[in-house]
Amino acid sequence: MKNVPTEDILLFRSCLVSVEYPGVEASTKFVFDKLGVDYEISDKQTCCTGLGHYSDVFSQIDTTAIGARNFRIARELKRPNLVMMCATCYAINKKSVKLLNKKDDLRNHINELFINNGLEHLTYEKDDLKPTENIFHVVDILYARKDEIKNHVKYDLSGYKIATHHGCHYCKVHYEDTIGGVRDPNVMDEIIAECGCKTIGWYDHKRATCGTGFRQRYSNPNLSFTATADKMNAIDDEDVDILVHLCPNCHIQFDRYQHLIAEREGRNFRAVHLNIAQFLAIAMGGDFDKVIGVRAHTVPVDSVIKDLKEVEK
Amino acid sequence: MRDDLKVGVFLCECGGNISDTIDLDRVKSELDVEFIGQFENLCSLNGRKIIRDAIFDHDLDRVVVAACSPISHEKTFQDYVKPLNPYLMDMANIREQCSWVHSDKDLATHKAISLINASVEKVKQSDAVDPIYCQTPDEVAVIGGGIAGMNAALSLAKQGTKVTLIEQSASIGGHMAKIGKVFSPVKIAEECGMCLLNPILNELVWNENITVLTNTKVIEAERRAGTYNLILEKSPRYVDTEKCISCGKCSEVCEVEVPNDWNDNLSNRKAIYRPFGQSYPEAYVIDMENCTKCSNCVKVCNMKAIRLRGKPERIPLQVGSIIVATGHKLFDMEKRPEYGYTRYDDVITQSELGRITGVNGPTKGKLLKSNGEVPKRVVMIQCVGSRDEKPDGHRYCSKICCTVALKNANIIKHKYPDTDVLICYTDVRTPGMFEKYYKHTQENEVRFLRGRPGEVVKKGDNFIVRTEDTLKGEFVEIEADMVVLSTAMEPSKGTEEIAEILNVGITEDGFIKESHPKIKPVATDVQGIFVCGTAHEPKDITDSIMQATAAASKVSEYNYGGVEIEPFIAEINTERCTVCGECIERCKYKSMSIQNDEIYIDPMSCTGCGKCLIGCKHRAITVNGNIDEKIMSTIKGVLSNKMEGQRMILVFLDNIGYTAADNIGVNRLSYPESIHIIKVISVNRVRPKHIRYALDNGADGVFIGEFPGDLMYDEVERKIQGVKNRIEELGEDPERVTFSKVYIPYFSGLARKFREFDSKIAELDSE
Repeated sequence: MKNVPTEDILLFRSCLVSVEYPGVEASTKFVFDKLGVDYEISDKQTCCTGLGHYSDVFSQIDTTAIGARNFRIARELKRPNLVMMCATCYAINKKSVKLLNKKDDLRNHINELFINNGLEHLTYEKDDLKPTENIFHVVDILYARKDEIKNHVKYDLSGYKIATHHGCHYCKVHYEDTIGGVRDPNVMDEIIAECGCKTIGWYDHKRATCGTGFRQRYSNPNLSFTATADKMNAIDDEDVDILVHLCPNCHIQFDRYQHLIAEREGRNFRAVHLNIAQFLAIAMGGDFDKVIGVRAHTVPVDSVIKDLKEVEK
Repeated sequence: MRDDLKVGVFLCECGGNISDTIDLDRVKSELDVEFIGQFENLCSLNGRKIIRDAIFDHDLDRVVVAACSPISHEKTFQDYVKPLNPYLMDMANIREQCSWVHSDKDLATHKAISLINASVEKVKQSDAVDPIYCQTPDEVAVIGGGIAGMNAALSLAKQGTKVTLIEQSASIGGHMAKIGKVFSPVKIAEECGMCLLNPILNELVWNENITVLTNTKVIEAERRAGTYNLILEKSPRYVDTEKCISCGKCSEVCEVEVPNDWNDNLSNRKAIYRPFGQSYPEAYVIDMENCTKCSNCVKVCNMKAIRLRGKPERIPLQVGSIIVATGHKLFDMEKRPEYGYTRYDDVITQSELGRITGVNGPTKGKLLKSNGEVPKRVVMIQCVGSRDEKPDGHRYCSKICCTVALKNANIIKHKYPDTDVLICYTDVRTPGMFEKYYKHTQENEVRFLRGRPGEVVKKGDNFIVRTEDTLKGEFVEIEADMVVLSTAMEPSKGTEEIAEILNVGITEDGFIKESHPKIKPVATDVQGIFVCGTAHEPKDITDSIMQATAAASKVSEYNYGGVEIEPFIAEINTERCTVCGECIERCKYKSMSIQNDEIYIDPMSCTGCGKCLIGCKHRAITVNGNIDEKIMSTIKGVLSNKMEGQRMILVFLDNIGYTAADNIGVNRLSYPESIHIIKVISVNRVRPKHIRYALDNGADGVFIGEFPGDLMYDEVERKIQGVKNRIEELGEDPERVTFSKVYIPYFSGLARKFREFDSKIAELDSE
């Protein structure tokens, strides 16, 4: 496995997390604190451009330039390890580092743009960051600290039927860096196992996309929701209670649209949707309101998770 | 005077391989020689005429051919320069080490000129010498007892050559013994594979020239004086093959049952077992990993053939040549979880289907699902792991899977006409006569769908195979109750291991690399080692046998024709020599001995390393070929057109390192243009004075590579450290000189080392 740091981390904020599910960030901090991960956030950091980039609003040059700016901020804080809560930020930033290191023309062009606009301090030197050694997703850090998890688990969630949905942009874009399998992704299943819970493992469409496809959700809703429905049907066939996510895009597609797809499919879907950090935070005793942020969820979390049972020590 | 010699340079376009990247007009304009010729394919017979005519017309004394690697065509051009002595020609490698590794035309052209200048200066130091012919031992080791190894061994044995056939499993026979039926495209019929294999096996067993060693692996190899000294390790069989009569009583009383790997784990066998009915040696074997040592078998064995104690035995073997026939393995289905192979019993591989439909298989030839019923619809999925660019997949086509699927589909149709068979293919590849068999299969009502299924899921009792029908452009879900996967062929573990032990080159896919894919399909990078069968690349039985017999005939060429040796070896001046024996002590290759009161040097084992020169008080030894002067002149030549600010790194490699460097080009990897490779007979001949001269005259770095298996390795390493210390004393940076291990199979590692050394030198330069 690649070397994963647990210090000098800049926890990279995500627009979707902040706007849609702030509990994901609160839960990540809660869990990182428990696991002794050394991180900080920066209010200077901006959006990775992800949604805009994949909707053709931001070109690759703009996206990479914004990446370069954020990388500089991380280096100035002496926190060169960027850790993302969102799979889109993860893949976008990893790609930007790769491009900045490999494409001399692009790097020079972006540095020129900085210089011409009085932003010399933002210039990026080749190999300032390394794609594999500096760009991570939260699951990478959780996985690296997974032996520590069981020491902090307060509640037993093993009574629920749990499945995982691994985001495409974590698993399939930079697969050489993906932990826990690409074709049969299991990184979250392994983290969840540390809470004493066994996921259902493989299920039909486990590897499939959530259907969001960025603009596809709006420009091709029928195609987009057919993909989501395939997966929701498969999850419901397995009587899943909790679907665990690692990407806020997927999280939105399932949580916000579950009732619409249920209507479309003429069936009642019951699963609730939690980010992996939220799942761990619940198991570690995080406050449902202040840490998990359940009030931002469309499918009520307490429709499934009602009474928590303490683990027997 | 050597400087007045008339040198002719011949530039080869190599059909664009060189001229597309290197601007040959510029090369011509910048060379200062007597004559420059250019031709699209110098190695062709027309090339011979061009070279010969120019030698006559311009009265040339020396020739430089700027073309491919000397490893490809040195012999050709040594022949083409007649009437000149073959050693008055030198090759500048502007293909493997220039046009194939660099893309910047300007830089590649400049480098080509440097390499040609180096050759021009070097060849001026050459003198006419004659090659030496030597004989190697006739004995041959064939590694791998499958259909390829068996045929190679048999062909050699029939020509009177002594062969040792080395097989790591308990029986020879290989994959062919397992596949059940084979088919002939011409007869359009399937026939029993074992019935075809058995006569070959019998013939082999009865041939007195063949020794079969099973349960045996090569664990070490060393080459000395044209002889390979192999160390074999024979694992104990625990059953005496001389005494065992294969009555099978032992197996009946054995209480341990484990999956039978010969049946692809579809049935069980005992801990004492016979691999298969016709296995050879005709004796049982104990699987000690699973044996409980209950001794039941020992008690019932009337022949007293069983011994529960035993140790691996080491066997030395000396041979003149080796045939590698270590075969393939099949793609690991854990890498494609979407097809459910590990989750569902009735998702199987073509290999397992071969066992199931084989009369000597787990169901005695009946096609049955795990519940004992005959399947109603079998879907076959082609290209599983082949032609697959997803993670862990292979980009190559495994070549046999289309016809294997057709064969197994026909076998199913013959026995169970009501079972629907559908093959999901990418392209059906049935060249030549195989096309007739494809047609026959279609007529047999086997159905075909073009599309690579995405996944296999279980819904209720049946599978759903999801795919796009790419001809109709439709998404389809096919119901099936058995799914058969056509898995890719990969190099076997044995193939991987033997490449490392013998230090032969491998391709980027891990198969044994032939020395030229077009015209030398059975020779490897190493003289005296040949390859055949699926260790080389995916191929079918017929192709394996053809290549096996070709390999055998190459060994015969080698045995009858002898080996031509470059004459650049040590020579004794008997008038000065006092036979003090100092050189015998010094020579690491043990090439020197006293015969008839004189020092005798074995030309096969002398490498021309020059170690003996140092200890000879009477200066009675010389090494032919002006090697010191040649290295110095090559350095001068390569640095002669250095530009302002240009980074120049000189890399000294012997034949092994040079082959690895060629492989970087053959596999189209790249490294910086600063890297200039100089081929030397032995890196020990690179003297401190050469390195210092290079650094003082424009080289920014010196890289010396040596194969750690070379007997001089430690010596050279010490010497380079000495040079570095001296450089430091002189106030220079010792980091500019580096010593590195090189291996032929690990060419990508060498490319990486070049890149790293280049960056390090760039850093030093910028300081």
